[in-house]
Amino acid sequence: MTPEQWSIVFNALNVGFLQTLRLFFVTLIGAIPLGLLIMLARRSSFRPLSWLTQGLTWIIRGSPLMIQLLILYYGPGLAFDWHPWGGGEAGRFSAAATAFIINYAFYFAEIYRGGIASIPAGQEEAGLVLGMTRTQIFFKVKLLQMVKAILPPMSNEVITLVKDTSLSRIIALQEIIWAGQKFLKGSSGISASILPLLCTVVYYLIFNGLLTILLTRLEKQLSYFR
Amino acid sequence: MILEVSGIRKSFGKAEILRGIDFGMDRGEVLSIIGSSGSGKTTLLRCLNFLETPDAGRIAVNGETLFDAASPTRDSAKVLRRKRLHFGLVFQNFNLFPQYTAFENVTLANLLLAKDTDAYRQNKAAVIGGIEEEAHRLLKQMGLSDRENNYPHQLSGGQCQRVAIARALALKPDILCFDEPTSALDPELTGEVLKVIRELADQRMTMIIVTHEMAFARDVSSHVIFMDNGIICEQGTPDQVFGHPQEERTRQFLQSFIQ
Ligand SMILES: Nc1ncnc2c1ncn2[C@@H]1O[C@H](COP(=O)(O)OP(=O)(O)OP(=O)(O)O)[C@@H](O)[C@H]1O
Ligand SMILES: [Mg+2]
Repeated sequence: MTPEQWSIVFNALNVGFLQTLRLFFVTLIGAIPLGLLIMLARRSSFRPLSWLTQGLTWIIRGSPLMIQLLILYYGPGLAFDWHPWGGGEAGRFSAAATAFIINYAFYFAEIYRGGIASIPAGQEEAGLVLGMTRTQIFFKVKLLQMVKAILPPMSNEVITLVKDTSLSRIIALQEIIWAGQKFLKGSSGISASILPLLCTVVYYLIFNGLLTILLTRLEKQLSYFR
Repeated sequence: MILEVSGIRKSFGKAEILRGIDFGMDRGEVLSIIGSSGSGKTTLLRCLNFLETPDAGRIAVNGETLFDAASPTRDSAKVLRRKRLHFGLVFQNFNLFPQYTAFENVTLANLLLAKDTDAYRQNKAAVIGGIEEEAHRLLKQMGLSDRENNYPHQLSGGQCQRVAIARALALKPDILCFDEPTSALDPELTGEVLKVIRELADQRMTMIIVTHEMAFARDVSSHVIFMDNGIICEQGTPDQVFGHPQEERTRQFLQSFIQ
């Protein structure tokens, strides 16, 4: 390939990776708080709500994200002639982001639940006998311990999410795999080549490397206590 | 009397763990509670500290009824907290807050409590200064001046327990309760904790101590209660209970410690 052709390839990959990043960040921003709500629903003393959440958790975590994407994107139109997502790339992005946020929120909720369960009851009791309110105990005593406990499993999920974004290829979202795959059959006057697709791996590796450094640093920040 | 406890009953499900507990204490007294595992000692301390709600009975401190199952009140959270603060509780496994230093563990609750007061709004620096000074004093009394800035995981079990005692004392409880304060410690560390409890007894701190350290209980207490199966089986001076037990169950229990 000539330098000009490479520049075409990288332009295409950059555009695709930007879409990958958008999906990644939008999913995190949506799923982190939604996971908290789901966790609260799961722990609710109103039994039906807790059961409903458990059932949904089973369905969402037990079935492939790819199917969830397909159902969410094509389902409403085919089943009810209802087209909530609109057309084009924007519509595909809305559908993909919705599916990812819901899917990851259910995973995050389970991680949060584990984080809360990992804090011994004695912490709450110690706070109570010292005259602290439950709110003070949550924010001043339990929250930081919870964050510390969930950071390693959350890091895992975040790294997985970076790679999972490529599943949105199934509804033709123009993320980086889609961008690289175009060149398999030859495109923009470039003959068929596997190299652009291989280059996408480098994008993933660099971004995940940076994330790992960031997350490790965060874990170190909290390593001053046990 | 500083503390009057009468008719305390508590069940978990079908099991009745406390089956009518009555006792009283005068200011400056040290009460030891002994008894075999499962006899309800921890449950009794938890009832006094409002961590459990008794099914029946009455608890009064300095003549003020704090709890009466016969005339239940729906206390606001604030009132409940004020009642709680008559008592302090030192746990078997310390329950220090791991993300705070020894010093911060001692000051945290007082700083939070102070925020609601007029004095704090008028002169914040003076109030905080007073709380910190008191924390320095207490940690010094516990022999931990050089450990103030250590986190709990950097301290030995004995040091942790002494921080926990300082933390409880910082709130100036009328009655300080200990639930087997040395049971989680290596034998060579129990001495340093028993020593500070003994010093508190010398300073006439009113204390209730649940313990399996019989020699210590005999030595430090003004009064001893032997609990068996949810009731007070025998009580009296250390000399009466340890030296001349009247009940067969007491004799059996004490015998098991000699062997
Ligand atoms: N929250 C609870 N729910 C159900 N049962 C409980 C609860 N707390 C305590 N029990 C039961 O009550 C009984 C008495 O427990 P408690 O902890 O008061 O005994 P203890 O005298 O402190 O014993 P130990 O010397 O082993 O500490 C035990 O059989 C225990 O299983
Ligand atoms: Mg106990």
